[in-house]
Amino acid sequence: MPKTITNQNLQLLIDTLLQAGTRVVGPKRADTMVLYAPLTTGEELDLTELPRRSAKETFFPLCEEILSYEKKDGKTCVTDVDLGKLPETVLIGARPCDSAAPGILDAVFSWDYNDEFYLERRKKTVIVGLACTRGDDACFCTAVGYAPDTKQGSDLFLTPVEGGGFVAEAVTDKGTTLLAKHAGLFQDQAAVSPLPLAQPQLATLDLARIKEWLDHNFESDFWKEIAVRCVGCGACAFICPACHCFDINDEGTEGKGCRRKHWDACGFAKFTNHASGHNPRDVQPQRYRNRIMHKFKYYDDKFGKTLCTGCGRCIRACPVGIDIAAIIEEIGKK
Amino acid sequence: MCIPDKNIYKPYLATIENIIDETPDVRTFRLVFQDEAVRDSFSFRSGQFAEYSAFGYGESTFCIASSPTRKGYIECCFRSVGRVTEALRRLEIGDTLGVRGPYGNSFPIEALYGRNLVFVAGGIALPPLRTLIWNCLDQRDKFGEITIVYGARTEDDLVYKHELKEWQERSDVNLVKTVDPGGNSDTWDGRVGFVPTILEEAAPKSDNCVALVCGPPIMIKFTLPVLEKLGFSDENIITTLENRMKCGLGKCGRCNVGNVYVCKDGPVFTAKQVKEMPQEF
Repeated sequence: MPKTITNQNLQLLIDTLLQAGTRVVGPKRADTMVLYAPLTTGEELDLTELPRRSAKETFFPLCEEILSYEKKDGKTCVTDVDLGKLPETVLIGARPCDSAAPGILDAVFSWDYNDEFYLERRKKTVIVGLACTRGDDACFCTAVGYAPDTKQGSDLFLTPVEGGGFVAEAVTDKGTTLLAKHAGLFQDQAAVSPLPLAQPQLATLDLARIKEWLDHNFESDFWKEIAVRCVGCGACAFICPACHCFDINDEGTEGKGCRRKHWDACGFAKFTNHASGHNPRDVQPQRYRNRIMHKFKYYDDKFGKTLCTGCGRCIRACPVGIDIAAIIEEIGKK
Repeated sequence: MCIPDKNIYKPYLATIENIIDETPDVRTFRLVFQDEAVRDSFSFRSGQFAEYSAFGYGESTFCIASSPTRKGYIECCFRSVGRVTEALRRLEIGDTLGVRGPYGNSFPIEALYGRNLVFVAGGIALPPLRTLIWNCLDQRDKFGEITIVYGARTEDDLVYKHELKEWQERSDVNLVKTVDPGGNSDTWDGRVGFVPTILEEAAPKSDNCVALVCGPPIMIKFTLPVLEKLGFSDENIITTLENRMKCGLGKCGRCNVGNVYVCKDGPVFTAKQVKEMPQEF
């Protein structure tokens, strides 16, 4: 018999977790928009719209300290960040396009060398996914192999039902544990009717065909056509659940400070700029080409995955109206 | 103890043991790891690179310019052109900097045993080959003839001037040094002309020979056709690609040429591999 949870009990679950010292991250209204953010009470949970930014910050913060250094009596000492202090976290209300992203990013952060900063957060986070019933024109998750009810990446999965509340399904051991620990908040209920799922307008794409075109068209006027208006603001990368390029910089003085890892974007002019002034990606179309290639070819070549979950955020955020879904759809027709 | 166990971004601490000014803006550091265990265990192959940090300013990527046959220290060589390299330049003998590495692939030195070698370098691109040159010279009997063609814009811009002299005096090395037209003084005892031209004049035989080329993109562009003309196949031309890097570990996403990550798949490539890549470097 499926387990269900009422809206009220979901809020209570959050409050219970918070009281136990767990960090709870979920969609929360901040002024005019909803963002994934640490919740302070269950009431703050706002599942009415897709959060403007992705949930990747839960595992891969915009900016994080990776070490600190101090020079004392002429001797420099470097100190590690104590990752043991990272809080146990529950990411609640993650849309499938967000919960699926860590499954893609795990590959790059754990191949060859492990990035413990990312992996420790992953280990300490339980993802409670939410079936998506509110898509918009920019959504295209189904076209890149996901769906509004994709459970991939979720530990526990919530499906909204008619009349309020959710069906709750444990997907992994982490989810089973969370459910069992708070069993009193869930009910057994046989007859439930799930709300209709969001229906992305761009339903399907032939990703293999798109990749095949990309395999053979590094040089193409197409890149100039699509990217001539790109202003290189980087919003698409920052808002993306799968973009993971980063920079490393020091903050502080010579005597004391810390080193930080922080988001970067291949759309930025200086991303690849050499110290000599030479830049392998000298103009914006070359940078935008890298964005498409990385998502739909390079990452696939290396890890067998597409670096996109079809959330559509970059389409909504682009100040000059570049539409990645339309671009790959066009490539698929070439 | 500063050995990175979990934190892959944590550098070893090293002391600057010696500083050599190669040119007005290019400097060599000889570095000794502060931790004895690191000093003993740190091993690398010619061609690998590292991330060097000036605390408070950040990290910069350079090759390890010394030879792994010379134990107890490593050397790097850098031009002061940016925030980090300017900060590195302000450091003095005895000061501390950070070193992460070694990263990347390396020159296939074992495959070069018994072969004749032609090193072709321009300007500040000698350090990536210099590690291999000394590596070969330190086990000289394993290699055939060794020719070094090295040029820079002016006499001042030649790096490792003291070593050029040493190579010039050795009978088992054929050094052809050159400066661009106009870059020579009255006392210049080398050639005058661009590296590709001088290479063509020197005309090393391609039989049983491998060419190792490192230089600015423009030099590489004009050198490859010369080598081809001299009979070198693309498999027997080895070069290094230098791209902007941050992590050195195949994660930060900026050094790729097509789907090839220079930090992991490189920096050493054959001309054949380079030609198969998208032309984005």
